[in-house]
Amino acid sequence: MYKYDNIDKTLVDQRVAQFRDQVTRRLNGTLTEEAFRPLRLQNGLYHQRHAYMLRVAIPYGLFNSKQLRTLANISEKYDRGYGHFTTRQNIQYNWVTLEDTPDILADLAKVEMHAIQTSGNCIRNITSDAFAGVAADEYVDTRPICELLRQWSTLHPEFAHLPRKFKFAVNGAKEDRTVMLCHDVGIELKKNVVGELTANIYAGGGMGRTPILGSLIKTELPWQLLPSYLTALLRVYNRFGRRDNLYKARIKILVKALGPEEFSRQVEGEWLHLQNSDDNFTQVEWDRVAKHFTKPPYKTLPMLTTEHILENVSEAEATAFTRWLERNVKPHQVPGYASVILSLKPHGTVAPGDATTAQMNAIADLADKFSFGELRSTHEQNLVLADVEQAELYELWQQAKKQNVALPNVGLLTDIIACPGGDFCSLANAKSLPIAKAIQERFDDLDYLFDLGDISLNISGCINSCGHHHVGNIGVLGVDKDGEEWYQITLGGEQGNDTSIGKVIGPSFYADEIPDVITNVINTYVNHRSEDESFIQAYRRLGVAPFKEAAYQNAKKKEKADAKSAGESV
Amino acid sequence: MSDANSTPSSLVQSHDEVLVFPKGGNPSLTSNKWQVWNGSQDEGGLPALDLVSHGVLVPLVWWIEHHHEMDVIAKAKNGQIGVWFAADDDILKHAELIEAGKQYWPLVAAYFPLFRDGRSFSTAALLRERLGWTKEIRMIGDVLIDQLLQGARVGFDSFALRNDQDLGVALKQFDLYSVTTQNSWRDKRTLLDQTQ
Ligand code: HEM
Ligand code: SF4
Repeated sequence: MYKYDNIDKTLVDQRVAQFRDQVTRRLNGTLTEEAFRPLRLQNGLYHQRHAYMLRVAIPYGLFNSKQLRTLANISEKYDRGYGHFTTRQNIQYNWVTLEDTPDILADLAKVEMHAIQTSGNCIRNITSDAFAGVAADEYVDTRPICELLRQWSTLHPEFAHLPRKFKFAVNGAKEDRTVMLCHDVGIELKKNVVGELTANIYAGGGMGRTPILGSLIKTELPWQLLPSYLTALLRVYNRFGRRDNLYKARIKILVKALGPEEFSRQVEGEWLHLQNSDDNFTQVEWDRVAKHFTKPPYKTLPMLTTEHILENVSEAEATAFTRWLERNVKPHQVPGYASVILSLKPHGTVAPGDATTAQMNAIADLADKFSFGELRSTHEQNLVLADVEQAELYELWQQAKKQNVALPNVGLLTDIIACPGGDFCSLANAKSLPIAKAIQERFDDLDYLFDLGDISLNISGCINSCGHHHVGNIGVLGVDKDGEEWYQITLGGEQGNDTSIGKVIGPSFYADEIPDVITNVINTYVNHRSEDESFIQAYRRLGVAPFKEAAYQNAKKKEKADAKSAGESV
Repeated sequence: MSDANSTPSSLVQSHDEVLVFPKGGNPSLTSNKWQVWNGSQDEGGLPALDLVSHGVLVPLVWWIEHHHEMDVIAKAKNGQIGVWFAADDDILKHAELIEAGKQYWPLVAAYFPLFRDGRSFSTAALLRERLGWTKEIRMIGDVLIDQLLQGARVGFDSFALRNDQDLGVALKQFDLYSVTTQNSWRDKRTLLDQTQ
């Protein structure tokens, strides 16, 4: 795992001091709230419905047990005993005070963590595949490049006040686990035919009110040239992105307005003047960073079959454990090892992605005991122990169960991605968390969930799409009509290699109708599926019509909904 | 091509003193010898220069239109005219004009219509990197203390702060960091510096 050198350490310490001074000036009134706002946002400090919320970066999702214990301590000392893991590999605290924030940042700095650029109109925390370095389907370990890009983007002066936020995702595996095409820039790392590390660049993706998938604008860019190319790209966006309308300020709108070819041409034009500059990464930098991402001291172990793993498991536990093996355990590059997903979506949970202080501390212990003290956070708001010996899976499972993080629902209907919604977020049109809870309550039969197989259900409390509802097979979006909370359903979204944006099926529903609507949609799938066909495959074959019909079959308030949504563009 | 957002008819009021921070030097305060003129009431031509302590910064669009006029040429030759760029001026489209301006203008400036509008950061970077502008570049407009560091790193070396900003606090902004992780106009990233 990356270890700060003196440069990183000095920079983060000095950043804490700078922010401490800004907070002091805010508190003594010499800095106005208007001027402070972008400054605090660039340090991940939001003002939410009830309190300040602090978003802490977990760069490319990788952290260690010591850091997790610090995150746990922070949740206890400064917050209300829990933290919320987000879709972009950050963790959020919902109840911090402005006065405490500099001290929290100082605590984080001691364990090589920070909140720099986790929000604001700048280059945000860079996300990557949670399984980087261990995934069986990986072409390239993305972590060294992610770390180099983290450094390059940290406090970048030219791009500190972009038209809008700017999100990078980096993928290096066959299966995209980063929703790369829904990022402002997606970087796909590959080895070319002669074995050199190169990048394909996708630009202009994003969700929000205008969901758009990124377009391929550059192929086989040598890794060393990433800083100059990205500088050119960001410079075009900084200069020509729209600033007159908040909703049209993301790069996706610029790329769409110009067309990907013209956008790419402009970037190339700018890049011509930069590509030979010493902004580019050097081998020295690569070596300095990459040495931290070597493999942990793996043992030479035999590859175990499921039968082997199940050998000493009692019959009473065999079914439950096998389920967990199937859903929550992923193949590894190294024989005898596996990666384990700890589900932060136990049924009856308060919020998807939440972990309590006690859970965080216990998970840190599990990481020490089973996975070289390292962890990952995932886009789906779960945690990963990446390097577990297959022979220890049973013991890990038993201990994880005690922490309520062993529910075998990864990838299933109750592995819900949800934003904090109206319970916390001041931008919300509707609540998300009670909807997630109601769906989990309706579908809490594991046998049934297992039979349904892979389905993603994502919930956002407003069109900003923090819950990624656009790319859920089933998406739920909170909408406001005359001060009432309504929910719009999208179907057919998907993340991964066939990333697609879901389609709105029609007028919205009341909160209490949602479990029935989901049930009807699911039943349609069950009734029409052919063997081994997943929900999304069935949807693609059948089209929206049967699902839509089922969704509205007993919509008691449909007429009212129709009336209310007349004239509203969806 | 300028919208109201980037070239307001009344410009942001700045302090009487400007903060100068030459590359390789130290930040200090000095009296401001340049009036920023928005060019909007140009029926009477340039402001009377004898009323201005030294010179006037004119908008690029005004310069484009008037730089062939005799009195403008005379004043420019006298070093009394500089040019300021609006946030949405595409300076690359006027590269030749700026090249020619190098012989007249003692300084250029880039305008921040709002402190959180970062377009002029790229303007300064382009002036330094691409257009080879070596003289002063001034940050004008809605210039606040907490944007100085970024400004200094992209290529600005003088700063006309908004008149409510505390100049004492402003002067202390430039030594907050002893390391950097990307190159800038002032310095190479620390690692590159160390390995050279
Ligand atoms: C209460 C705190 C939050 C606030 C105020 C907030 C604010 C926003 C806003 C305004 C947008 C829209 C951006 C746009 O369309 O340009 C957005 C998008 C997004 N947020 Fe949040 N958010 C919050 C919490 C979260 C959480 C908890 C997550 C993760 C679970 C998250 C992840 C995202 C993602 C992934 C997007 C979509 C991005 C895209 O279009 O690229 N946010 N958020
Ligand atoms: S989607 Fe809307 S309600 Fe949910 S967190 Fe984002 S901004 Fe808030």
